[in-house]
Amino acid sequence: MPEGEFLFVPYYTVNTLTGTKAARVVSDPVEAAEIIDRARNPLYILGPETITSEVGEKLLLEYVLEIVRANNILTCATAHVKKKMLEFGKRPDCVYDIIEIIHFLKMPDWQGVRGRGSHDLVLFTGVRCDLAERGLATLKHFAPHLKTFAVCRRGHPNADYTAPVIPRMEKWREYLEGIIRGLY
Amino acid sequence: MSKTEKFREKINGIIRAEEPWEAVGHTPLPLVTDLRNWDFRLMKTYRPFYAPFCDLCCLCNFGKCDLTLDRKGACGIDMATQQARMILISCLMGAAAHGAHGRHLIEHLIEKHGENHPLDLGDQVNVEAPIIRTVLGLKPKTLGDLRRAVEYVERELIHLVAATHTGQEGSNLDYESKAFHCGMLDHVALEACDIAQITGFNYPTSVVETPLVELGWGTIDRTKPVILLVGHNAAAANSMTDYLRRKNLLDKVELAGICCTALDTTRYNEGAKVVGPLAQQRFFLKTGIADVIVADEQCVLTDIPALAKETGAALIAWSDKICYGLDNVTEKETGEIVKMIAGEKKQVLVLDPDKAAQAAVEAALALAPTRKKTILTPEQAVEIAGRCRKKCEKCNQNCANLLPVGTAVSQAGEGNLEPLADLFRKCTGCGKCEAACDFNLPILKLMAAAAGAEKYKVRVGRGPIHDVEIRKVGSPIVLGTIPGVVLFAGCSNYPDVGDVAWMAEELARRKYIVCLSGCAAMAAGMYKDADGKTIYEKYPPSFDAGGVLNVGSCVSNAHVVGAAIKIANIFAALPGRANFELIADYILNRVGACAVVWGPYSQKALAIGTGAIRWGIPLLLGPHGAKYRRLFMSKKEYDDWTVIDGRTEQLVDTREPTPEHMAIVVETRERALPTMIKLCMRRNDTSPGRAIKLHQYISVYKEHLGTLPDDLQNFVRTERDVPLVYKKEVLAYLKAVGWQPKPALSLPTIIGTYETKVPVSATLR
Ligand code: SF4
Ligand code: SF4
Ligand code: SF4
Repeated sequence: MPEGEFLFVPYYTVNTLTGTKAARVVSDPVEAAEIIDRARNPLYILGPETITSEVGEKLLLEYVLEIVRANNILTCATAHVKKKMLEFGKRPDCVYDIIEIIHFLKMPDWQGVRGRGSHDLVLFTGVRCDLAERGLATLKHFAPHLKTFAVCRRGHPNADYTAPVIPRMEKWREYLEGIIRGLY
Repeated sequence: MSKTEKFREKINGIIRAEEPWEAVGHTPLPLVTDLRNWDFRLMKTYRPFYAPFCDLCCLCNFGKCDLTLDRKGACGIDMATQQARMILISCLMGAAAHGAHGRHLIEHLIEKHGENHPLDLGDQVNVEAPIIRTVLGLKPKTLGDLRRAVEYVERELIHLVAATHTGQEGSNLDYESKAFHCGMLDHVALEACDIAQITGFNYPTSVVETPLVELGWGTIDRTKPVILLVGHNAAAANSMTDYLRRKNLLDKVELAGICCTALDTTRYNEGAKVVGPLAQQRFFLKTGIADVIVADEQCVLTDIPALAKETGAALIAWSDKICYGLDNVTEKETGEIVKMIAGEKKQVLVLDPDKAAQAAVEAALALAPTRKKTILTPEQAVEIAGRCRKKCEKCNQNCANLLPVGTAVSQAGEGNLEPLADLFRKCTGCGKCEAACDFNLPILKLMAAAAGAEKYKVRVGRGPIHDVEIRKVGSPIVLGTIPGVVLFAGCSNYPDVGDVAWMAEELARRKYIVCLSGCAAMAAGMYKDADGKTIYEKYPPSFDAGGVLNVGSCVSNAHVVGAAIKIANIFAALPGRANFELIADYILNRVGACAVVWGPYSQKALAIGTGAIRWGIPLLLGPHGAKYRRLFMSKKEYDDWTVIDGRTEQLVDTREPTPEHMAIVVETRERALPTMIKLCMRRNDTSPGRAIKLHQYISVYKEHLGTLPDDLQNFVRTERDVPLVYKKEVLAYLKAVGWQPKPALSLPTIIGTYETKVPVSATLR
């Protein structure tokens, strides 16, 4: 479990409301970059919102691809993201839908994308929030061998690390740019 | 006589084993554990996948217990088992809803026609009840026989419910096996229910071209008294039609419905109107167009009494499932009930569908002239939306479908109603946004005003697939030259209501057989092309390549599973009677079918889907389906895909993951399309058949994902499988990824790969 501040857990955990493991909020993009940088074999899962959602002038996908390029992170294109990634000159390292890739990630002995060994950090951006929460819950319970980081401006309690809730688009852009700067 | 023999004798009595229409197979009236080995075999390839919805178990007074990570409950249960238990509980809710609905209708119709009333599905349907035949071993002939089927369901359900108690089952796989059993029982109940209503109400049967009826709230004539039917049990609605006919009032009163009661009412009365799927319920109730609301059962909003009061509509509930705390006035004279409703404005419970029907009509006639039914105009909507605080986003944060509500409302306030109209198509009508808005903006009314009153068409539900149709398409489906049968079932928890029409049309164009039921059948009608035509007006309604059929309401889903069974039983002449494994194995390996619940919402849809999987029919769910918290997925090329060659009885490693998954969630419709195509692939496909399926797969994949499929090598067995148009490109790709030819079998079966009483030779016909 990562260190830091978590959601409140009452003393009598038998009556706790949401379980006893909740995401640590990573408010500082520099720290977010450090978490990504530390990972030995990270995987970035890209959801369809990356190709429909704009952050200022650019597509969310463009920021994600910057992060990917900065650290040479392996990618998984879910839904129909692949086509757009190709348009931006990036071939995904694998193509599964979100639940499928999670199914593989649960296996502790899975040799990982491109057979490079198991992943120690899984990043998510652009997956439907409700669906991502379910997938993160799966990994939280059934894949204790890896850490998850939801790079999502709506926040994800079921991840190990999550970006804070960032309603303002401008702040979201700053956060993403902060990660990219931190990685270079 | 031993205990087992005595039991067998009892079973023989129930199913009339002495009748020689087919030899009784291995599992008549299967008990909870009789098909356990089959279930475990399925789960060996398609392992359960859990996405916990909650980290806790709150089911007993030892707890609540936190099951996070590898913690156990005080009772000893772990997370996976708890998830499976919750799934079983949900499936039980769904099966009980269908079962009770069936029981209720069967008793109602027996009261009207007697228990010896013969079942008659017309001259095109001889195998009247493929599910009941296969599961129970019973060939039902009368309404009384359908009661036997439901009694079997009831008997089994009590054991399944018991297993969910604290300190019972301790294995997730066994819970899943029980959920499969529950799903199978659900299908028995569905079939019994729909056959009963087809027979008892004379619904269309043995007819392909059922009429087109009106859909959409724009089709409702507000100047007439309007009765709104909500739910799934059409007994009262049909009685209303009879009453209106008797009184010569059929064209003077509008009968309109939401959800399956609507669909089932149009099977009885072509003049009835379908407002739309479940998601339209709250919208329509808020318009106040209905003078009288008649609530029956299942998927009826639980706050209808308050919603009815808001608009001054009357409310009659008539089902024991939904009594709303209302006074039970069943024993009173109809006139007195009408006085209470129309005069004293009381909401009432009338536990007699015939009486409820008469009271509803009379109350509507009395009330309509006194009510003003003005609905919000677009201009008024702009003015009201102007009060939006714009950036507070409370509505967004509470939207169950993650929609940008606030932006749409604030843009409406500036005069642009487009985003709000677009929201309407994506909205599931849950009302959470409106409840969260501190400024009390009537968001749903605003959306409805922006969207306008569209008019569409939907085809009347046609019931069973005909035996002649099965004979015609059996061979092309089994060989793979008709690329697949896809059923779009139930619920309207869609990311976008337009998705269903889009996917259905994409498949019909590609010569799949597209079947629809329930809310999905309505949603498919809610889209018009540039010529103003709905999918039902563009494609033939036959069970044939490129056909688009509405089978009927939720309970009619049974007919699509029934069609798959009939392919085994009629086309391939496999003995179906009490032969579940034999038939399910045939479907799994040879019948290219899949079910899609794009708007998963109810426990009923979960039960139907779980049942479909036990029959060997894969299930694809829309994004909300992850909240069912369990899927069945293979590990694709990493799994063991060994089957038996039925002719040589040898094990063969096919190395092809077909069908790839048995239950999967996908996020977008563009992704759903290639996934459905894959789920329709079967190990039995001939090379020409597989080439057709691969052609569709490649073309769809290229269109939406931009390249040849990344997993193409998994599905090409020999070079003859490669579709001609893509030959060069595909062969180059296969070479690049080091593809090796795989064996193709003409009689693949998993019988024989696990412990079963069914001999492999039984698969050979
Ligand atoms: S049923 Fe078991 S896990 Fe659930 S609350 Fe009771 S003891 Fe805890
Ligand atoms: S009513 Fe529609 S827009 Fe409002 S919260 Fe529900 S789904 Fe979202
Ligand atoms: S909650 Fe109400 S006021 Fe706030 S943005 Fe939404 S509609 Fe506007």
